[in-house]
Amino acid sequence: MKRSLKTWLAATLLATSTLTGFGAAAADFTACEVTDTGGIDDNSFNQTAWKGVQDAQAKLGIKGRYLESQAETDYTANINSLLGQCDLIITVGFLLGDATKAAAEANPNQKFSIVDYAYDPVLPNVAGQVYATDQAAFLAGYLAAGMTKSGSLGVFGGINIPPVTIFMDGFHQGAEYYNKQKGTKVKVLGWDPAKREGLFTNNFDSLDDGRAFAQNLYDEGADIVLPVAGPVGLGSAALANELGVDKLKIIGVDADLYLTDPERKHVYLTSIMKRMDATVMEVIDSAMKGTFKGGVVVGSLSNGGVDLAPLHDMETMVPDELKKELATIRQQIIDGTIKVGN
Amino acid sequence: MSEQGETATLTARLLERAAPKRADFEDLVIVPVFAVVVALILGGVAMLATNVDLETIGRSYVALAYGSIGSINALSETITAATPLILAGLGVALGFRAGLFNIGAEGQILMGGMAAVVVGFSFTGLPMLVHLPLALLAGIVAGALYAAIAGWIRAATGAHEVILTIMLNMISYRLVDYMLRMPAIQRPGRSDPISSSVLPTAELPRLLEWLGPNLRLHSGVFLMLAAVLFVYWLLFRSTIGFEFRASGESPEAARFAGMRSGLIIVLVMALGGAFAGLAGANQVLGVLGRASSGFSAGIGFDALAVALLGRSHPFGVVIAGLLFGALEAGGRQMQVDAGVSIDLIGIIQSLIILFIAAPLVVRALFPWGFRKGAPASKE
Amino acid sequence: MEIELRGITKRFGEVVANSDVNLTIRAGEVLGLLGENGAGKSTLMNVLSGLYRPDGGEILIDGKPVQFRGPGDAIRAGIGMVHQHFMLVPVFTVAENVVLGVEPTGPVDFLDLKKARAQVREINETYGLEVDPDEYIENLPVGVQQRVEIIKVLFRSANAIIFDEPTAVLTPQEVTEFFAIVKSLRSAGKAIVFITHKLHEILEVADRISVLREGRIVGEGVPGKTTDLELAEMMVGRPVSFKVDKTPFSPGPVLLDVQHLTVLRENDAVAVNDLTLNVRAGEIVGIAGVQGNGQSELVEALAGVRRVAGGSVMFQGKDITGASARDRHRLGMAHIPEDRQRTGIIAAFTVAENMVLDTYYDSRFSRGLAMDWQAVNQNSAAAAAAFDVRTPSIFEKAGHLSGGNQQKLVVARELNRDTKLLIASQPTRGLDVGSIEYIHKRIVDAREEGDGILIVSSELDEIMSLCDRILVMFKGRIVAEFGAAGRPANKNDIGLAMAGVAA
Repeated sequence: MKRSLKTWLAATLLATSTLTGFGAAAADFTACEVTDTGGIDDNSFNQTAWKGVQDAQAKLGIKGRYLESQAETDYTANINSLLGQCDLIITVGFLLGDATKAAAEANPNQKFSIVDYAYDPVLPNVAGQVYATDQAAFLAGYLAAGMTKSGSLGVFGGINIPPVTIFMDGFHQGAEYYNKQKGTKVKVLGWDPAKREGLFTNNFDSLDDGRAFAQNLYDEGADIVLPVAGPVGLGSAALANELGVDKLKIIGVDADLYLTDPERKHVYLTSIMKRMDATVMEVIDSAMKGTFKGGVVVGSLSNGGVDLAPLHDMETMVPDELKKELATIRQQIIDGTIKVGN
Repeated sequence: MSEQGETATLTARLLERAAPKRADFEDLVIVPVFAVVVALILGGVAMLATNVDLETIGRSYVALAYGSIGSINALSETITAATPLILAGLGVALGFRAGLFNIGAEGQILMGGMAAVVVGFSFTGLPMLVHLPLALLAGIVAGALYAAIAGWIRAATGAHEVILTIMLNMISYRLVDYMLRMPAIQRPGRSDPISSSVLPTAELPRLLEWLGPNLRLHSGVFLMLAAVLFVYWLLFRSTIGFEFRASGESPEAARFAGMRSGLIIVLVMALGGAFAGLAGANQVLGVLGRASSGFSAGIGFDALAVALLGRSHPFGVVIAGLLFGALEAGGRQMQVDAGVSIDLIGIIQSLIILFIAAPLVVRALFPWGFRKGAPASKE
Repeated sequence: MEIELRGITKRFGEVVANSDVNLTIRAGEVLGLLGENGAGKSTLMNVLSGLYRPDGGEILIDGKPVQFRGPGDAIRAGIGMVHQHFMLVPVFTVAENVVLGVEPTGPVDFLDLKKARAQVREINETYGLEVDPDEYIENLPVGVQQRVEIIKVLFRSANAIIFDEPTAVLTPQEVTEFFAIVKSLRSAGKAIVFITHKLHEILEVADRISVLREGRIVGEGVPGKTTDLELAEMMVGRPVSFKVDKTPFSPGPVLLDVQHLTVLRENDAVAVNDLTLNVRAGEIVGIAGVQGNGQSELVEALAGVRRVAGGSVMFQGKDITGASARDRHRLGMAHIPEDRQRTGIIAAFTVAENMVLDTYYDSRFSRGLAMDWQAVNQNSAAAAAAFDVRTPSIFEKAGHLSGGNQQKLVVARELNRDTKLLIASQPTRGLDVGSIEYIHKRIVDAREEGDGILIVSSELDEIMSLCDRILVMFKGRIVAEFGAAGRPANKNDIGLAMAGVAA
């Protein structure tokens, strides 16, 4: 017992001294990711963030590791077990906010970065990565409103938390903007931006829920559905695949699902991309160069942190005029002519 | 005179305890040990089947051992993970002893945890000496009451407790989601289901913070040890425990002996729920500091396995709970060091349970561990 | 056909169930296999019927050694067994039950019930069994159900038939009919093994008798030459007395007064119908009757474990109609339940724990919520010694005890305190001669101490030898009373009353 205590103390001291040392050489730099309960292969933000680490492995020659959380009780434990073993710990998701903050405060020499969360006031050793997702969602809402035949769009979320509802807000706003421009009455089912209420599966892992919620929205008349719930959306895609893409189209979130879900790529109208890989890469790069500082990294249309995915197979189905309008709106959002969000 | 002497000798002889039989030793020690060994071996085979090379497998198991018992931090994590499993496992074991299959520990943990959180953040200005016990008590009472619902319906109508507790689990999930959105409970400024934070006066103090800021071991471990001793006393040294065990072994014989089966059912369920509720309170006051949907994290279901593996004996439950806690803590290290999927730990856990539940398989696999000729009943 | 068991030895772990047993079974002969419970009779027969494989020795059929790998092999070799507990499907007809598992089929795998019925009739005629092949099992009396079991065995062309305790569930009349069937089977050239612990039955029907004790053949006998006392001594290993000695009948005041009692079964059918009886101090009242006529429900209602639907029960002038089992127990009522395995003891509990199963709450054994195990153990050891419960230790599991010792454990628990009334249901069912003798003695002792005793038994001999008064129960009512004020007890009259024939 006594000996293991000593060994442990020694190990901790050693680890701390390494950390406080100089910018590490590339091969010694280790970036670690802690996922939320969705897992590393969620076709969504955990996976996209991991892609950022992998890109850094390829381009910067660092080492990368990840730890999957199976339950909420794992968050703290998972972060703790990486302490001292990684130069940068990247936690993924709003739900890890509390655990990351506690760990960062207890270990001021450890660098952290959290995807989808920002602290106010900022912590000196945490770089929060947040995304103006509503900008891209606005474009998706406009596109969907232009493409719907039934006049109804559907949206549902995982949990009623800001990183989810921001998609729903932007989508809603985009559709409304279309109505205003064209005098149409396209409805968005599943989210009421005023009351902050809507459809939520209350989880980020049940594909069955994704299928059932999409089915409900389809039954209510929606022919384009935006599931904002990580892998839950794959269930919705499966339904669209069975019904046929002329009856139901899906808009992907986080990654370009046309690429990450190749088996059902034809059901995706487009995807609202959060380029977490880009921001993760950016943070890793800054940590290696020694320019890392706590605060907020915002991904927006202007810096490519968020964007609408290419239309791929839908390219020919979308009228050229609509494409032109989208390009204009995109520019207007970037230069501030159109204000997205409140 | 001589006849009296004879009776006295006979009485004395009857009071002698037989030495523990080899069969008992085989059942209690050899079977579980082999079950763990076989599960680890088959876990390795499963890794091989998924194209993991031998060196990585070796590294995984070294990491498993290191991450569970290899350092102070590992021990702290193992015990932290084991504490709620043992508490809830005791509750389930009590039910097993009384012949009740209480699947509802998960829901009881949720209700107990919710009550503890609400008390934990609602009362400001209380000294810790009052606040913490109050929050713990709230958890215990809430768990007990929630479980007693199933007990009462079972006793009154004969509806099966398995169905009842499963349904109550379902209800508890939604109830917790609902409560976490109530303005009085939801954390100000948040729209997702998460409660306000437990005040420091209601937190279970951490024990090893002086050694390192990340050592999570907290004083819930003392509650757990006290609970183990209490359950031991209750089961084997009290009249209530006698009634529980009698009802469990033979409800009819217990009824014929004048025991009130309905009352016993309600009492067993309530007590089991009290321990699950304490497990929930232990989690929110000692580990999480708040409640969010799904904070029970499946502990209530793992507790079933822990109770089963521990043969429904309080000391067995401790050992089984520590084993599961070690697998959880070590599994994390396995992931970090060897990059092996955390799902493997689930496979190993399931295999252990499987082999414990089917001792004949273990006997067949390791014939040299057991005396020849399986002990069978006479006639 | 001749079956020879040569040097059969069967061990279970350290327990030797059969040791070097030699036995010959011949066609046209009834072999009586006599032994106490736990003597190894069932093990031996399970070896013969292929369920167990012996650890030593061999089985020869017509001089040729055979190996049974399972019951199927034994059946093919012509050995059939009629178990104590029937294995019949209640909602099937006789013919359907008989063919179950070996269904005769017509072309295209059709179940040929017509053929089955014809075969059942043929067996009926050959052996004089008189069973309607189209009747449903659930509508048949127990005695006829047993005949269906016999037909099943004969249908599978058995030449040797083993009967395991066949008379345990039969009325005296049914026993007589059963013996006639056994004799007709014998004259048809079948080899019969008749397992029992009832001496007079074996003397009546067997041609040769082998006595098994502690796994060994300890003696042989021939009816007419060997007496029942000699056989009993071989069985038990010491001289046995059949006579119950008791003082002259001098009853005291009424202890238990039951008026117009009505009790229902689980399915709301009437089990006890407007029944009136009383038990006085210092008397043993016996209730005779074929099982299933409401005796069990009567006893359970009196013991407080079954709800009373009508009428009243008074104990020492106090109305206890709605009292709980524990209240009655506290008042000095003791209850030996009918099914000791299910309701009398807890097999997984130790002898000591069983000894306080209904007194653990007493101040002798607990203080507040805390059990006083020291006191429990001391008391249990003394009671086990006093009531001749043979166990290596009071920490032995009750389930490991023989049936007789389990029952003595129940008797010890119920009588080893200040009792006033004992209700005993089937107190000696399935027990060996030695245990029966001992339990009878204890019951009589209780009577001598002034206790009132109510005994329910389907063993007419037991009722006749023990009781001061005998009541016969039929379809929930007392239909006749014998002894004391009533007619003198007479086996034939009681038997007729049990069968519902008004006398």
